[in-house]
Amino acid sequence: MSASIDIDGLTKVFGSGPEAVHAFGPSSLHIGKGEFVSLLGPSGCGKSTLMLIIAGLLEPTSGEVRVDEKTVTGPLTDIGIMFQDNTLVPWRTVWGNVALQLELRGENPSRHRQRIESLLASVKLDGFADRHPYELSGGMQQRAAFCQAMVHDPDTLLFDEPLGKLDAMTRESIRTDLQTLWLSKRPTVVFVTHSIEEAVQLSSKVCLITPRPGRIDRVIDIDLPYPRDLDVKSGADFVGHVREIQAIFHGYGVL
Amino acid sequence: MATASSSLDRDPETSRSRRSLRFLLGGLSRSWMFLAFFVGFFIVWEISIDLFGIPKYILPKPSEIAVKSWADADRLLYYTWITGLEAVLGYIIAILLAVPLGLAIAFSRVMRQTVYPFFVSLEMTPKIAFAPLFISWLGFGLLPKIIIVILVCFFPIVLNAILAFTSLAEELERFVRSTGAGPTRAFFKVRLPAALPQCFVGFKYAAINATVGATIAEFIGSDEGLGFYIQIVTGNMRPDLAFAGIFLLTLLGLALFGIVSVVERLAIPWHISVRRKT
Repeated sequence: MSASIDIDGLTKVFGSGPEAVHAFGPSSLHIGKGEFVSLLGPSGCGKSTLMLIIAGLLEPTSGEVRVDEKTVTGPLTDIGIMFQDNTLVPWRTVWGNVALQLELRGENPSRHRQRIESLLASVKLDGFADRHPYELSGGMQQRAAFCQAMVHDPDTLLFDEPLGKLDAMTRESIRTDLQTLWLSKRPTVVFVTHSIEEAVQLSSKVCLITPRPGRIDRVIDIDLPYPRDLDVKSGADFVGHVREIQAIFHGYGVL
Repeated sequence: MATASSSLDRDPETSRSRRSLRFLLGGLSRSWMFLAFFVGFFIVWEISIDLFGIPKYILPKPSEIAVKSWADADRLLYYTWITGLEAVLGYIIAILLAVPLGLAIAFSRVMRQTVYPFFVSLEMTPKIAFAPLFISWLGFGLLPKIIIVILVCFFPIVLNAILAFTSLAEELERFVRSTGAGPTRAFFKVRLPAALPQCFVGFKYAAINATVGATIAEFIGSDEGLGFYIQIVTGNMRPDLAFAGIFLLTLLGLALFGIVSVVERLAIPWHISVRRKT
Protein backbone atom coordinates (compact mmCIF):
# COMPACT_ATOMS: atom_id res chain seq x y z
CA MET A 1 0.00 0.00 0.00
CA SER A 2 2.77 2.46 -0.68
CA ALA A 3 4.41 3.86 -3.75
CA SER A 4 7.97 4.20 -4.98
CA ILE A 5 9.00 7.55 -6.41
CA ASP A 6 11.78 8.19 -8.92
CA ILE A 7 13.01 11.65 -9.76
CA ASP A 8 15.06 11.73 -12.91
CA GLY A 9 17.13 14.70 -14.08
CA LEU A 10 14.51 17.10 -12.81
CA THR A 11 14.87 20.86 -13.30
CA LYS A 12 12.47 23.73 -12.83
CA VAL A 13 12.94 27.20 -14.27
CA PHE A 14 10.29 29.85 -13.67
CA GLY A 15 9.82 32.40 -16.44
CA SER A 16 12.06 32.74 -19.45
CA GLY A 17 14.76 34.95 -20.94
CA PRO A 18 16.73 37.27 -18.65
CA GLU A 19 13.89 37.22 -16.10
CA ALA A 20 14.12 33.43 -15.68
CA VAL A 21 14.61 32.06 -12.18
CA HIS A 22 16.35 28.72 -11.92
CA ALA A 23 14.47 27.24 -8.97
CA PHE A 24 15.61 23.65 -8.86
CA GLY A 25 17.82 20.94 -10.25
CA PRO A 26 19.03 19.12 -12.12
CA SER A 27 18.63 16.37 -9.55
CA SER A 28 17.73 12.71 -9.36
CA LEU A 29 16.51 10.65 -6.44
CA HIS A 30 15.00 7.27 -5.68
CA ILE A 31 12.47 6.94 -2.90
CA GLY A 32 11.59 3.35 -2.04
CA LYS A 33 8.18 2.05 -0.98
CA GLY A 34 7.31 3.00 2.57
CA GLU A 35 10.29 5.29 3.06
CA PHE A 36 10.11 8.51 5.01
CA VAL A 37 12.24 10.99 3.08
CA SER A 38 12.91 14.54 4.18
CA LEU A 39 13.82 17.32 1.79
CA LEU A 40 15.96 19.51 3.98
CA GLY A 41 17.30 22.89 2.98
CA PRO A 42 17.26 26.63 3.62
CA SER A 43 14.20 28.63 2.64
CA GLY A 44 14.02 29.47 -1.05
CA CYS A 45 16.04 26.42 -2.10
CA GLY A 46 13.24 24.95 -4.18
CA LYS A 47 12.28 22.08 -1.89
CA SER A 48 8.59 23.05 -1.99
CA THR A 49 8.84 23.34 -5.77
CA LEU A 50 10.20 19.79 -5.89
CA MET A 51 7.32 18.58 -3.74
CA LEU A 52 4.73 20.23 -5.99
CA ILE A 53 6.35 18.64 -9.05
CA ILE A 54 6.21 15.21 -7.37
CA ALA A 55 2.51 15.84 -6.65
CA GLY A 56 1.97 16.60 -10.34
CA LEU A 57 0.74 20.08 -9.42
CA LEU A 58 3.63 21.80 -11.18
CA GLU A 59 5.24 20.83 -14.48
CA PRO A 60 9.01 20.31 -14.52
CA THR A 61 11.06 22.22 -17.09
CA SER A 62 13.00 19.07 -17.89
CA GLY A 63 13.34 15.58 -16.53
CA GLU A 64 10.50 13.56 -15.04
CA VAL A 65 8.97 12.05 -11.95
CA ARG A 66 7.82 8.43 -11.93
CA VAL A 67 5.53 7.01 -9.30
CA ASP A 68 5.48 3.22 -9.29
CA GLU A 69 7.32 3.38 -12.63
CA LYS A 70 4.59 5.53 -14.22
CA THR A 71 5.55 8.99 -15.43
CA VAL A 72 3.62 11.76 -13.67
CA THR A 73 1.75 13.90 -16.22
CA GLY A 74 -0.99 15.49 -14.11
CA PRO A 75 -2.02 15.87 -10.48
CA LEU A 76 -1.56 12.63 -8.53
CA THR A 77 -4.74 11.64 -6.76
CA ASP A 78 -3.58 8.73 -4.68
CA ILE A 79 -1.79 11.08 -2.31
CA GLY A 80 -2.43 12.99 0.86
CA ILE A 81 -1.09 16.50 0.84
CA MET A 82 -0.44 18.98 3.61
CA PHE A 83 0.93 22.50 3.60
CA GLN A 84 2.23 25.02 6.10
CA ASP A 85 -1.09 26.85 5.70
CA ASN A 86 -3.62 24.12 6.20
CA THR A 87 -6.41 23.25 3.80
CA LEU A 88 -9.19 23.27 6.37
CA VAL A 89 -12.22 25.27 5.21
CA PRO A 90 -13.87 27.53 7.80
CA TRP A 91 -17.45 26.61 6.91
CA ARG A 92 -17.01 22.99 7.92
CA THR A 93 -16.33 21.39 11.28
CA VAL A 94 -13.30 19.24 11.95
CA TRP A 95 -15.37 16.20 11.02
CA GLY A 96 -16.69 17.91 7.91
CA ASN A 97 -13.19 18.91 6.85
CA VAL A 98 -11.93 15.35 7.10
CA ALA A 99 -15.05 14.22 5.26
CA LEU A 100 -14.38 16.82 2.54
CA GLN A 101 -11.44 14.76 1.28
CA LEU A 102 -13.81 11.79 0.79
CA GLU A 103 -16.66 13.88 -0.63
CA LEU A 104 -14.37 15.47 -3.21
CA ARG A 105 -13.49 11.94 -4.25
CA GLY A 106 -17.15 11.09 -4.69
CA GLU A 107 -17.42 8.93 -1.59
CA ASN A 108 -20.06 9.03 1.08
CA PRO A 109 -18.28 9.99 4.30
CA SER A 110 -20.94 8.54 6.58
CA ARG A 111 -19.87 5.12 5.35
CA HIS A 112 -16.42 5.83 6.76
CA ARG A 113 -17.61 7.22 10.07
CA GLN A 114 -15.59 4.80 12.15
CA ARG A 115 -12.46 5.40 10.16
CA ILE A 116 -12.76 9.18 10.58
CA GLU A 117 -13.43 8.84 14.28
CA SER A 118 -10.48 6.55 14.96
CA LEU A 119 -8.22 8.81 12.91
CA LEU A 120 -9.32 11.85 14.95
CA ALA A 121 -8.78 9.88 18.15
CA SER A 122 -5.27 8.91 17.04
CA VAL A 123 -4.26 12.59 17.01
CA LYS A 124 -6.19 13.37 20.21
CA LEU A 125 -8.98 15.25 18.46
CA ASP A 126 -11.83 13.06 19.67
CA GLY A 127 -14.30 15.41 21.27
CA PHE A 128 -13.42 18.18 18.82
CA ALA A 129 -15.16 16.73 15.79
CA ASP A 130 -17.97 19.30 15.96
CA ARG A 131 -15.69 22.31 16.35
CA HIS A 132 -14.84 24.67 13.55
CA PRO A 133 -11.17 25.20 12.65
CA TYR A 134 -11.21 28.75 14.03
CA GLU A 135 -12.15 27.36 17.44
CA LEU A 136 -8.94 25.31 17.56
CA SER A 137 -5.32 26.14 18.32
CA GLY A 138 -2.80 26.11 15.49
CA GLY A 139 -1.52 22.72 16.60
CA MET A 140 -5.00 21.20 16.68
CA GLN A 141 -5.72 22.63 13.26
CA GLN A 142 -2.64 20.91 11.85
CA ARG A 143 -3.71 17.67 13.52
CA ALA A 144 -7.08 18.00 11.84
CA ALA A 145 -5.39 18.78 8.51
CA PHE A 146 -3.31 15.68 9.04
CA CYS A 147 -6.48 13.57 9.38
CA GLN A 148 -7.84 15.23 6.25
CA ALA A 149 -4.68 14.21 4.37
CA MET A 150 -4.81 10.63 5.66
CA VAL A 151 -8.49 9.70 5.63
CA HIS A 152 -8.54 8.15 2.14
CA ASP A 153 -5.59 5.93 3.04
CA PRO A 154 -3.23 7.30 0.37
CA ASP A 155 -0.13 5.44 -0.82
CA THR A 156 1.93 8.58 -0.58
CA LEU A 157 1.95 11.55 1.77
CA LEU A 158 3.46 14.85 0.68
CA PHE A 159 4.09 17.29 3.49
CA ASP A 160 5.27 20.84 2.87
CA GLU A 161 6.50 22.16 6.21
CA PRO A 162 3.26 21.19 7.95
CA LEU A 163 4.69 22.09 11.36
CA GLY A 164 6.38 25.26 10.17
CA LYS A 165 4.15 27.70 11.97
CA LEU A 166 3.83 25.86 15.26
CA ASP A 167 5.60 26.41 18.55
CA ALA A 168 8.40 24.04 19.58
CA MET A 169 6.35 22.03 22.08
CA THR A 170 3.44 21.45 19.73
CA ARG A 171 5.84 20.49 16.95
CA GLU A 172 7.47 17.90 19.17
CA SER A 173 4.14 16.40 20.12
CA ILE A 174 2.78 16.25 16.56
CA ARG A 175 6.05 14.75 15.30
CA THR A 176 5.55 11.87 17.69
CA ASP A 177 1.99 11.30 16.46
CA LEU A 178 3.14 11.50 12.87
CA GLN A 179 5.82 8.92 13.47
CA THR A 180 3.38 6.58 15.19
CA LEU A 181 0.97 6.78 12.27
CA TRP A 182 3.72 6.29 9.72
CA LEU A 183 5.04 3.25 11.58
CA SER A 184 1.59 1.66 11.69
CA LYS A 185 0.64 2.23 8.03
CA ARG A 186 3.96 2.72 6.29
CA PRO A 187 2.95 5.02 3.46
CA THR A 188 5.73 6.62 1.44
CA VAL A 189 6.31 10.09 2.89
CA VAL A 190 8.03 13.10 1.35
CA PHE A 191 8.52 15.67 4.08
CA VAL A 192 9.74 19.19 3.33
CA THR A 193 11.36 20.91 6.29
CA HIS A 194 14.10 23.29 7.26
CA SER A 195 14.57 21.78 10.70
CA ILE A 196 17.56 19.46 10.84
CA GLU A 197 16.43 17.88 14.08
CA GLU A 198 12.96 17.22 12.68
CA ALA A 199 14.38 15.63 9.55
CA VAL A 200 16.73 13.35 11.49
CA GLN A 201 14.07 12.32 13.98
CA LEU A 202 11.44 11.35 11.42
CA SER A 203 13.25 10.22 8.30
CA SER A 204 14.74 7.05 7.01
CA LYS A 205 16.55 9.23 4.47
CA VAL A 206 17.41 12.93 4.52
CA CYS A 207 18.11 14.77 1.25
CA LEU A 208 20.23 17.85 1.72
CA ILE A 209 19.36 20.58 -0.74
CA THR A 210 21.80 23.34 -1.60
CA PRO A 211 20.84 27.01 -1.60
CA ARG A 212 19.54 28.53 -4.83
CA PRO A 213 19.39 26.93 -7.28
CA GLY A 214 18.40 23.93 -5.17
CA ARG A 215 20.06 20.60 -5.91
CA ILE A 216 19.93 17.37 -3.96
CA ASP A 217 23.56 17.37 -2.94
CA ARG A 218 23.72 14.53 -0.42
CA VAL A 219 21.37 11.79 0.66
CA ILE A 220 22.01 10.61 4.19
CA ASP A 221 20.55 7.37 5.51
CA ILE A 222 19.39 7.68 9.09
CA ASP A 223 19.75 4.18 10.49
CA LEU A 224 18.49 4.88 14.00
CA PRO A 225 15.87 2.55 15.46
CA TYR A 226 12.19 3.53 15.51
CA PRO A 227 10.29 4.82 17.37
CA ARG A 228 12.65 7.69 17.85
CA ASP A 229 11.59 9.07 21.19
CA LEU A 230 13.35 11.51 23.49
CA ASP A 231 15.86 8.84 24.54
CA VAL A 232 16.98 8.26 20.97
CA LYS A 233 17.16 12.01 20.42
CA SER A 234 19.59 12.46 23.28
CA GLY A 235 21.75 9.55 22.15
CA ALA A 236 25.18 10.01 20.55
CA ASP A 237 24.08 8.61 17.14
CA PHE A 238 21.24 11.07 16.80
CA VAL A 239 23.38 14.02 17.83
CA GLY A 240 26.10 12.77 15.48
CA HIS A 241 23.72 12.89 12.49
CA VAL A 242 22.52 16.36 13.41
CA ARG A 243 26.14 17.60 13.74
CA GLU A 244 27.12 15.99 10.44
CA ILE A 245 24.29 17.73 8.63
CA GLN A 246 24.98 21.03 10.36
CA ALA A 247 28.58 20.79 9.17
CA ILE A 248 27.46 20.21 5.57
CA PHE A 249 25.13 23.23 5.61
CA HIS A 250 27.96 25.23 7.15
CA GLY A 251 29.98 24.22 4.11
CA TYR A 252 27.20 25.60 1.82
CA GLY A 253 27.52 28.90 3.66
CA VAL A 254 24.03 28.56 5.12
CA LEU A 255 24.86 28.06 8.77
CA MET B 1 -23.00 36.52 30.14
CA ALA B 2 -24.03 35.32 33.59
CA THR B 3 -27.71 35.95 32.96
CA ALA B 4 -27.50 34.28 29.58
CA SER B 5 -26.10 31.08 31.03
CA SER B 6 -28.58 30.96 33.92
CA SER B 7 -31.54 31.42 31.59
CA LEU B 8 -30.00 28.63 29.52
CA ASP B 9 -30.30 26.35 32.53
CA ARG B 10 -33.93 27.19 33.06
CA ASP B 11 -35.23 27.17 29.53
CA PRO B 12 -32.77 26.14 26.87
CA GLU B 13 -35.26 26.46 23.98
CA THR B 14 -36.21 30.12 24.35
CA SER B 15 -32.67 31.06 25.19
CA ARG B 16 -31.35 29.45 22.06
CA SER B 17 -33.92 31.16 19.86
CA ARG B 18 -33.22 34.47 21.57
CA ARG B 19 -29.52 34.02 21.04
CA SER B 20 -29.94 33.16 17.39
CA LEU B 21 -32.18 36.21 16.92
CA ARG B 22 -29.47 38.32 18.49
CA PHE B 23 -27.00 36.66 16.15
CA LEU B 24 -29.10 37.57 13.11
CA LEU B 25 -29.54 41.17 14.18
CA GLY B 26 -25.85 41.46 15.00
CA GLY B 27 -24.86 44.89 16.27
CA LEU B 28 -28.44 46.23 16.13
CA SER B 29 -29.52 44.32 19.23
CA ARG B 30 -26.93 46.10 21.33
CA SER B 31 -27.46 49.52 19.84
CA TRP B 32 -29.13 51.42 22.69
CA MET B 33 -26.31 53.98 22.62
CA PHE B 34 -26.97 54.58 18.97
CA LEU B 35 -30.69 54.90 19.65
CA ALA B 36 -30.05 57.43 22.42
CA PHE B 37 -27.87 59.44 20.05
CA PHE B 38 -30.58 59.27 17.40
CA VAL B 39 -33.27 60.58 19.75
CA GLY B 40 -30.91 63.26 21.03
CA PHE B 41 -30.25 64.40 17.48
CA PHE B 42 -33.97 65.03 16.86
CA ILE B 43 -34.39 66.81 20.19
CA VAL B 44 -31.53 69.19 19.37
CA TRP B 45 -33.06 69.77 15.93
CA GLU B 46 -36.48 70.51 17.43
CA ILE B 47 -35.07 73.01 19.94
CA SER B 48 -32.70 74.70 17.49
CA ILE B 49 -35.51 75.74 15.11
CA ASP B 50 -37.14 77.92 17.81
CA LEU B 51 -33.81 78.97 19.30
CA PHE B 52 -32.40 80.35 16.03
CA GLY B 53 -35.77 81.40 14.58
CA ILE B 54 -35.43 79.37 11.39
CA PRO B 55 -38.53 79.78 9.17
CA LYS B 56 -40.41 76.57 8.55
CA TYR B 57 -40.32 76.88 4.76
CA ILE B 58 -36.52 76.52 5.08
CA LEU B 59 -36.25 73.84 7.76
CA PRO B 60 -39.29 72.49 9.62
CA LYS B 61 -39.28 70.94 13.08
CA PRO B 62 -39.24 67.13 13.35
CA SER B 63 -42.57 67.26 15.20
CA GLU B 64 -44.14 69.26 12.41
CA ILE B 65 -42.73 66.89 9.79
CA ALA B 66 -44.35 64.00 11.67
CA VAL B 67 -47.75 65.68 11.93
CA LYS B 68 -47.87 66.99 8.34
CA SER B 69 -46.65 63.75 6.79
CA TRP B 70 -49.26 61.81 8.80
CA ALA B 71 -51.90 63.82 6.95
CA ASP B 72 -50.40 62.68 3.65
CA ALA B 73 -49.68 59.13 4.82
CA ASP B 74 -51.66 57.34 2.12
CA ARG B 75 -49.74 58.91 -0.71
CA LEU B 76 -46.40 58.54 1.09
CA LEU B 77 -46.93 54.85 1.80
CA TYR B 78 -48.05 54.12 -1.76
CA TYR B 79 -45.01 55.92 -3.14
CA THR B 80 -42.74 54.06 -0.73
CA TRP B 81 -44.19 50.82 -2.12
CA ILE B 82 -43.53 52.00 -5.69
CA THR B 83 -39.94 53.09 -5.04
CA GLY B 84 -39.32 49.98 -2.97
CA LEU B 85 -40.65 47.79 -5.75
CA GLU B 86 -38.33 49.44 -8.30
CA ALA B 87 -35.33 49.11 -5.98
CA VAL B 88 -35.98 45.50 -4.94
CA LEU B 89 -36.87 44.21 -8.41
CA GLY B 90 -33.88 45.96 -9.97
CA TYR B 91 -31.63 44.66 -7.21
CA ILE B 92 -32.76 41.05 -7.56
CA ILE B 93 -32.50 41.11 -11.35
CA ALA B 94 -29.04 42.67 -11.04
CA ILE B 95 -27.92 39.78 -8.81
CA LEU B 96 -29.42 37.21 -11.17
CA LEU B 97 -27.57 38.75 -14.12
CA ALA B 98 -24.33 39.76 -12.45
CA VAL B 99 -23.39 36.61 -10.52
CA PRO B 100 -23.47 34.26 -13.53
CA LEU B 101 -21.56 36.84 -15.56
CA GLY B 102 -18.98 37.20 -12.80
CA LEU B 103 -18.63 33.41 -12.75
CA ALA B 104 -18.20 33.25 -16.50
CA ILE B 105 -15.54 35.95 -16.43
CA ALA B 106 -13.74 34.31 -13.51
CA PHE B 107 -13.58 30.89 -15.15
CA SER B 108 -13.12 31.78 -18.82
CA ARG B 109 -9.89 33.23 -20.08
CA VAL B 110 -11.57 34.54 -23.23
CA MET B 111 -14.17 36.38 -21.16
CA ARG B 112 -11.46 37.77 -18.90
CA GLN B 113 -9.63 39.23 -21.86
CA THR B 114 -12.67 40.64 -23.67
CA VAL B 115 -15.69 41.35 -21.51
CA TYR B 116 -13.83 42.07 -18.27
CA PRO B 117 -11.77 45.09 -19.42
CA PHE B 118 -14.92 46.42 -21.10
CA PHE B 119 -16.79 46.25 -17.80
CA VAL B 120 -13.94 47.77 -15.86
CA SER B 121 -13.94 50.79 -18.17
CA LEU B 122 -17.74 50.97 -18.01
CA GLU B 123 -17.41 51.03 -14.23
CA MET B 124 -15.78 54.45 -14.64
CA THR B 125 -18.87 55.78 -16.41
CA PRO B 126 -21.39 57.38 -14.06
CA LYS B 127 -24.23 54.95 -14.75
CA ILE B 128 -26.83 57.49 -13.73
CA ALA B 129 -25.89 59.51 -16.82
CA PHE B 130 -27.80 56.90 -18.84
CA ALA B 131 -31.00 57.59 -16.93
CA PRO B 132 -32.46 60.30 -19.22
CA LEU B 133 -31.86 58.05 -22.22
CA PHE B 134 -33.75 55.15 -20.68
CA ILE B 135 -36.63 57.43 -19.74
CA SER B 136 -36.81 58.74 -23.28
CA TRP B 137 -36.63 55.22 -24.75
CA LEU B 138 -39.03 53.50 -22.36
CA GLY B 139 -41.29 56.19 -20.99
CA PHE B 140 -42.46 57.03 -17.47
CA GLY B 141 -43.35 53.55 -16.16
CA LEU B 142 -41.60 51.14 -13.82
CA LEU B 143 -39.40 49.54 -16.45
CA PRO B 144 -36.90 52.37 -17.05
CA LYS B 145 -36.49 52.80 -13.26
CA ILE B 146 -35.86 49.11 -12.78
CA ILE B 147 -33.30 49.18 -15.58
CA ILE B 148 -31.51 52.11 -13.96
CA VAL B 149 -31.48 50.29 -10.61
CA ILE B 150 -30.05 47.22 -12.36
CA LEU B 151 -27.38 49.42 -13.90
CA VAL B 152 -26.21 50.93 -10.61
CA CYS B 153 -26.34 47.57 -8.76
CA PHE B 154 -24.80 45.45 -11.47
CA PHE B 155 -21.15 46.53 -11.37
CA PRO B 156 -20.31 46.13 -7.69
CA ILE B 157 -21.83 42.64 -7.84
CA VAL B 158 -19.96 41.60 -10.99
CA LEU B 159 -16.61 42.98 -9.89
CA ASN B 160 -16.82 41.42 -6.43
CA ALA B 161 -18.02 38.11 -7.86
CA ILE B 162 -15.02 38.02 -10.20
CA LEU B 163 -12.70 38.77 -7.31
CA ALA B 164 -14.49 36.16 -5.19
CA PHE B 165 -14.19 33.36 -7.70
CA THR B 166 -10.59 34.06 -8.69
CA SER B 167 -9.05 34.30 -5.23
CA LEU B 168 -9.24 30.79 -3.83
CA ALA B 169 -6.21 30.19 -1.58
CA GLU B 170 -3.41 28.45 -3.47
CA GLU B 171 -3.24 25.60 -0.94
CA LEU B 172 -6.96 24.89 -1.29
CA GLU B 173 -6.67 24.98 -5.07
CA ARG B 174 -3.86 22.40 -4.88
CA PHE B 175 -5.71 20.27 -2.35
CA VAL B 176 -8.79 20.15 -4.58
CA ARG B 177 -6.70 19.18 -7.60
CA SER B 178 -5.03 16.41 -5.62
CA THR B 179 -8.43 14.83 -4.94
CA GLY B 180 -9.22 14.55 -8.64
CA ALA B 181 -12.61 16.17 -8.06
CA GLY B 182 -14.46 17.27 -11.20
CA PRO B 183 -15.26 20.95 -11.77
CA THR B 184 -18.88 20.72 -10.57
CA ARG B 185 -18.06 18.94 -7.35
CA ALA B 186 -15.10 21.23 -6.67
CA PHE B 187 -17.36 24.23 -7.30
CA PHE B 188 -20.12 23.30 -4.89
CA LYS B 189 -17.92 21.83 -2.17
CA VAL B 190 -15.15 24.41 -2.14
CA ARG B 191 -15.15 27.24 -4.67
CA LEU B 192 -18.68 28.53 -4.08
CA PRO B 193 -18.65 28.59 -0.27
CA ALA B 194 -15.15 30.09 -0.32
CA ALA B 195 -16.38 32.86 -2.65
CA LEU B 196 -19.50 33.82 -0.69
CA PRO B 197 -17.95 36.36 1.71
CA GLN B 198 -16.54 38.46 -1.14
CA CYS B 199 -19.81 38.11 -3.08
CA PHE B 200 -21.68 39.58 -0.14
CA VAL B 201 -19.41 42.63 -0.20
CA GLY B 202 -20.84 43.30 -3.65
CA PHE B 203 -24.42 42.47 -2.61
CA LYS B 204 -24.29 44.93 0.28
CA TYR B 205 -22.70 47.67 -1.77
CA ALA B 206 -25.37 47.17 -4.44
CA ALA B 207 -28.14 47.24 -1.80
CA ILE B 208 -27.06 50.78 -0.94
CA ASN B 209 -27.04 51.75 -4.61
CA ALA B 210 -30.51 50.34 -5.26
CA THR B 211 -32.58 53.04 -3.52
CA VAL B 212 -30.26 55.77 -4.77
CA GLY B 213 -30.76 54.54 -8.33
CA ALA B 214 -34.54 54.35 -7.96
CA THR B 215 -34.76 57.86 -6.48
CA ILE B 216 -32.64 59.51 -9.16
CA ALA B 217 -34.52 57.69 -11.88
CA GLU B 218 -37.75 59.13 -10.47
CA PHE B 219 -36.23 62.62 -10.30
CA ILE B 220 -35.52 62.47 -14.00
CA GLY B 221 -38.91 61.39 -15.24
CA SER B 222 -41.75 59.92 -13.29
CA ASP B 223 -45.32 60.38 -12.12
CA GLU B 224 -45.09 58.37 -8.92
CA GLY B 225 -42.62 57.21 -6.28
CA LEU B 226 -40.78 58.97 -3.48
CA GLY B 227 -38.28 60.66 -5.81
CA PHE B 228 -41.18 62.15 -7.76
CA TYR B 229 -42.91 63.15 -4.50
CA ILE B 230 -39.84 64.95 -3.11
CA GLN B 231 -39.49 66.99 -6.28
CA ILE B 232 -43.17 67.98 -6.36
CA VAL B 233 -43.46 68.97 -2.68
CA THR B 234 -40.17 70.88 -2.79
CA GLY B 235 -41.57 72.83 -5.74
CA ASN B 236 -44.63 73.60 -3.60
CA MET B 237 -42.43 74.98 -0.80
CA ARG B 238 -43.23 72.06 1.48
CA PRO B 239 -39.86 71.00 2.93
CA ASP B 240 -41.73 69.20 5.72
CA LEU B 241 -43.16 66.71 3.24
CA ALA B 242 -39.82 66.48 1.41
CA PHE B 243 -38.22 65.45 4.69
CA ALA B 244 -40.92 62.82 5.15
CA GLY B 245 -39.99 61.42 1.74
CA ILE B 246 -36.29 61.48 2.59
CA PHE B 247 -37.01 59.75 5.88
CA LEU B 248 -38.96 56.98 4.15
CA LEU B 249 -36.22 56.55 1.55
CA THR B 250 -33.73 56.15 4.39
CA LEU B 251 -35.94 53.51 6.00
CA LEU B 252 -36.26 51.77 2.66
CA GLY B 253 -32.49 51.71 2.20
CA LEU B 254 -31.96 50.49 5.75
CA ALA B 255 -34.54 47.75 5.32
CA LEU B 256 -32.96 46.50 2.11
CA PHE B 257 -29.47 46.59 3.60
CA GLY B 258 -30.76 44.93 6.77
CA ILE B 259 -32.35 42.08 4.84
CA VAL B 260 -29.15 41.48 2.90
CA SER B 261 -27.17 41.52 6.16
CA VAL B 262 -29.46 38.92 7.70
CA VAL B 263 -29.15 36.74 4.62
CA GLU B 264 -25.38 37.13 4.85
CA ARG B 265 -25.42 35.98 8.47
CA LEU B 266 -27.43 32.93 7.50
CA ALA B 267 -25.23 32.15 4.51
CA ILE B 268 -21.77 32.59 6.04
CA PRO B 269 -22.08 32.36 9.85
CA TRP B 270 -18.55 30.98 9.87
CA HIS B 271 -16.92 34.03 8.30
CA ILE B 272 -14.74 36.22 10.50
CA SER B 273 -16.69 39.40 9.65
CA VAL B 274 -19.89 37.77 10.92
CA ARG B 275 -18.33 36.04 13.93
CA ARG B 276 -16.65 39.23 15.17
CA LYS B 277 -19.96 41.07 15.46
CA THR B 278 -21.54 38.58 17.84
